[in-house]
Amino acid sequence: MALIEIEDLHVAVAGKDVLKGLSLAIEAGTVHAIMGPNGTGKSTLSNVIAGREGYDIKRGRIVFAGRDLLAMPADERARAGIFLAFQYPVEIPGVSTSAFLKTAINAKRRAAGLSEIDAMEFLKLVKAKCKALGVADDMIKRPLNVGFSGGEKKRAEVLQMSLLEPRFAVLDETDSGLDIDALKVVSAGVNALRGPESAFLVITHYQRLLNYIVPDQVHILSGGRIVASGGRELAERLERDGYAQFQTAA
Amino acid sequence: MASVLSSSRSTAHPFGERYAGRMGPLPGASQPWVDGLRQAGRAALTSSGLPGPKVEAWRYTSLAELAKVAFIPAATADDVEVASVPSRVPRLDGFPRLVLVNGVLRRDLSDVAANAFAVPLRDALNGGDPAVRAVLGKIAPVSGSPISALNTSFLSEGLVVSAQSGAPVRLQIVTIGAAGAEPAAFHPRIVLTASDGADVTVAVHHVGLPGQSYLSNPVTEISIGRGATVRNFVDLAEDGDAFHLGLTAVNLAANGSYEDFRLALGGGLIRQDVTAIFSGDGGRVTLNGAYALAKTEHHELATTFFHDVPNCNSEQIVRGVAAGRSRAVFQGRIRVAPNAQKTDARQNHKALFLDAGPKIDCKPELEIFADDVQCAHGAATGEIDHDQLFYLLSRGIDPDTARALLVAGFLVDVVSRLSIDVVREAFAGAVSAWLKTRVVSGGVP
Repeated sequence: MALIEIEDLHVAVAGKDVLKGLSLAIEAGTVHAIMGPNGTGKSTLSNVIAGREGYDIKRGRIVFAGRDLLAMPADERARAGIFLAFQYPVEIPGVSTSAFLKTAINAKRRAAGLSEIDAMEFLKLVKAKCKALGVADDMIKRPLNVGFSGGEKKRAEVLQMSLLEPRFAVLDETDSGLDIDALKVVSAGVNALRGPESAFLVITHYQRLLNYIVPDQVHILSGGRIVASGGRELAERLERDGYAQFQTAA
Repeated sequence: MASVLSSSRSTAHPFGERYAGRMGPLPGASQPWVDGLRQAGRAALTSSGLPGPKVEAWRYTSLAELAKVAFIPAATADDVEVASVPSRVPRLDGFPRLVLVNGVLRRDLSDVAANAFAVPLRDALNGGDPAVRAVLGKIAPVSGSPISALNTSFLSEGLVVSAQSGAPVRLQIVTIGAAGAEPAAFHPRIVLTASDGADVTVAVHHVGLPGQSYLSNPVTEISIGRGATVRNFVDLAEDGDAFHLGLTAVNLAANGSYEDFRLALGGGLIRQDVTAIFSGDGGRVTLNGAYALAKTEHHELATTFFHDVPNCNSEQIVRGVAAGRSRAVFQGRIRVAPNAQKTDARQNHKALFLDAGPKIDCKPELEIFADDVQCAHGAATGEIDHDQLFYLLSRGIDPDTARALLVAGFLVDVVSRLSIDVVREAFAGAVSAWLKTRVVSGGVP
């Protein structure tokens, strides 16, 4: 059985139908990519998986590790192992990155019946992860995402991901606004987290990211549905020939 | 009992003959100028009364409830029973402490190291200190300020702090309100003079003994000499039923610098005014503040900056949160005189509703008569930002904890601008303590 199974998902935003019967199954241990032009529902899909409010789910269901995901509030989903790497990470003035990370780690630990992380252990863990990701560890003293460059924000997202060790992570256009060096660092961070128990959904507009995070499957989203699925070569074909060929298929 | 009849422009008040008659002998009897100041205060109080709702500057803060209380003058004997300074007030490392009870300097409760810098106002008035005479009532005149008029009417207690250039002066000033069985009022006056090149930091805590009804009516006049720096950090944590009508008036000579932080975390009805006058080129004022209100608390911060000369900067950042049926007001007036070119004046107020009950008003008022200036104001009130909340939820943080983090961050963001570490940490600690009792424990959704 797939780790996450999306069945016939219909979602409207502000009265407008955006997803119109999207189905997708992702096995543990795999990386799937969704590509598509702007305005086809890529961000809607990631927000619906993460549990953001304001989306009208008209039909369909999402089953994650045997649980009805859509019935769970956003924070519970995260504690169960869902992670969304934001396209635009939110700046939160006055909340230090380290206080935020510690609170998030402890929320997950408590849900798993573990005790809170000890302050020394926390620092050691964060420093090790920062080092592995090439993130300056004084970043964690700064207010969360405030004044971070585009690259720093994306690295901070991957840092959070590696600390929270999700079972299923959605990367929403993580490559947008990244130069090639940052892209490599972020991709290496994601690749380090790949394993037989976890799965990833990489949402992107461009094929470039998929050179670094190599997907097992690629899907084309157009008109609110998946209109084509295939291996890596599908992304290459898309890069070469454009989206037009698929849009007619919708 | 009331000296004037209530109308929409003035409110009848309990500070007339009966009140004055219950005061002991006032100091400075041999100094006609002292009595002249008090007469001017009473004349202003008699002719205008306390302001009513039709007075524009007071339209958001009604004194009707205060005017109903039959205040008596608070005891000013120097043996009013205060066992210790309330534990709410932290010790600040490097800040020797002065304690005023009902405005009276209590050397027995103060630190030896602090006593050297301070003279009780009563002594200065009796002795006719010319340095005090040069400042008193000049920076905080009674005209246009009902708070000053009330304070000046009963001028007697308070402090004189003088600092020369040389070693920086740091002081913690704790004012404690201690009423007896009857509601009591006190009117402390602090005169702070920083000579040319001096560097002075004061942390002022306004607290009360619990469960007492009192009016604290402090006025602080600060004279900042050429190139001198004054930092004035005010922690207002009056007791739940207390009234507080305070004014800080500042005058800056050329290249003077003034940093003010207003932390307001409690009290029944609070209005604090801050007035700054730039009287020499190159002056700089930073006024930041954070407030957190609950229940039926009322807090108004009203600032007035007079950019009367060129090349001066002022910056104000105020953040507040309000819950319950509380009421928050920020009024910020900036006047740039015709010749005050190259003025840079900025003002920003943001407040969060923690539930549907509170009312928050913000009124920026920019009067700009010069053309080569930069002035900006921003104001926003709203609920907790949904995107920020979702971001925290998406990391597994439960909604209550997420909200508490965001509210704390909203306030701590401005507290973090405070320039002196030990005070910043103390103020941040006070904010956390407030949030722990009001937000995390479920008192506020």
